[in-house]
Amino acid sequence: MAYKAPMKRSWWLQHAAFRRYMLREATVLPLVFALCCLLAGLWSLQTSAQFHAWQQFMAQPWVVAFNLLALVGALYHALTFFQLFPRVMPIRLGEKQVPAALMVVAQWLGVVAVLLAMLWLATSGVLGAWQ
Amino acid sequence: MSRFKGLHLEPLWWGLFSAGGVCFAVFLPAVLLVFAVLAPLGVIHLNMNALATAAGSIWGLLFVGAVICLPAFHAAHRIRHGLHDLKLGGGLWSVVLCYGAAALISASALWGWLALTSWF
Amino acid sequence: MSEQRFVQVEVVRYLPENKTPEKDEPFSQFFEVPYTESTSILDALQYIKEELDSSLSFRWSCRMAICGSCGFMVNGTPKLGCKDFLRNYPNGVRIAPLAHFTVERDLMVNMEEFLVHLEAVQPFLVEEQQAKAQGVQKYTETYQQTPAQLAKYKQFSNCINCGLCYAACPQFGLNPEFIGPGALALAHRYNLDSRDHGKAQRMKVLNGHNGVWSCTFVGFCSDVCPKKVDPAAAVNQGKVESAKSMLIQMFKGNS
Ligand code: SF4
Ligand code: FES
Repeated sequence: MAYKAPMKRSWWLQHAAFRRYMLREATVLPLVFALCCLLAGLWSLQTSAQFHAWQQFMAQPWVVAFNLLALVGALYHALTFFQLFPRVMPIRLGEKQVPAALMVVAQWLGVVAVLLAMLWLATSGVLGAWQ
Repeated sequence: MSRFKGLHLEPLWWGLFSAGGVCFAVFLPAVLLVFAVLAPLGVIHLNMNALATAAGSIWGLLFVGAVICLPAFHAAHRIRHGLHDLKLGGGLWSVVLCYGAAALISASALWGWLALTSWF
Repeated sequence: MSEQRFVQVEVVRYLPENKTPEKDEPFSQFFEVPYTESTSILDALQYIKEELDSSLSFRWSCRMAICGSCGFMVNGTPKLGCKDFLRNYPNGVRIAPLAHFTVERDLMVNMEEFLVHLEAVQPFLVEEQQAKAQGVQKYTETYQQTPAQLAKYKQFSNCINCGLCYAACPQFGLNPEFIGPGALALAHRYNLDSRDHGKAQRMKVLNGHNGVWSCTFVGFCSDVCPKKVDPAAAVNQGKVESAKSMLIQMFKGNS
């Protein structure tokens, strides 16, 4: 005497909000690939022959393409994650809450700081240099 | 054993997921840009000896934890819940498979780090 | 008076008495409904019932977004019928019963499926054990609360139990045992209230697999909430609380 609609496997295709959610979740797929690349890189530091082989592997167009995808995925993940963070761990000072927008900006500044530090390490001669 | 009644590991997985999420968002863009895009494209030349020394230091351990292990658990958590979302699992076998794989990647990364340290 | 126009309104209907062994499914019915700037979705349904087809069933009461009984899927998004307007859908609109619930008739769903979860979290101030033990039924003095104590839970106290967040939550759709956004938000609201003493009881529900841990922060519940409760934030703050509560239980045992 009542009707219950089945929850289809394709439920997430039915609404833009769900498609965005699935896209967010899917950012970890290229991440897994990139993690395996980095892991291989770590192991390859044992001998210079291995390191060159790793560099050759990493320079293949399809590998670069997947890693670029992982980079874009990381940025999209950051975009979503930074918005969630102030909601899960709100910082409260008495009656007032630190504005979420401020926390989002602070987190992006963190990303930029890490990026600049990493670029400096990799180009100033510490770990590498501009080609 | 009322002390352990109703307890489960979800808080642990969620804690690792959250920490990994922060690392994924804050460190991975920089790391991927330098090591996975600019270096392979030949824009940056990496110095292998300097890399190996740095990786074998305490900084290398921090790098391994923040850039490989924690993001691996972050990914495992999302994949496990994704399997549930797609009605493909999410139960015990997905837990074992996903977090097991993350643990394996982490163990391998830690061992790889250890192999670069001077004590090895 | 603004100019009157017409728009096509599709209503997804279900009549249990039409059930046959082969077919027991909702069907669509189409109506041409006149509207002005101020015609709400609920007005449209009332127009249909009064002028076009009196057999249509739906719930409503206050017409001012406070009773929470007029929730429908409007073009696939959960909305309060009295808070959404036909002018937003000049190309036609599809009104369906709230998703993830069992449909009883036409646009009426079985809200019991949400209310059992609501009941499970004791969404009311639980008085101090001591007071109860002494046989005191009610505090005779008024509770005192500072503005800072009020600010902690105020946002989560605006819930009108409309169930839109349940229709927006795929985790509830996948697992009807999931306590769900609205009830978890209210649990959090009372846990944060300085006058309440029921947190330990509620945490038993929140800690379970069907409590806060079923949530994957899809976040759509907060987008659709007509009262800006942000249930997704409440549920995920609940995860932090649940993690703490389980750690304490592990080291100190259950009180
Ligand atoms: S939290 Fe918002 S959407 Fe959910 S029942 Fe309460 S008022 Fe409705
Ligand atoms: S009729 Fe009361 S909320 Fe719409």
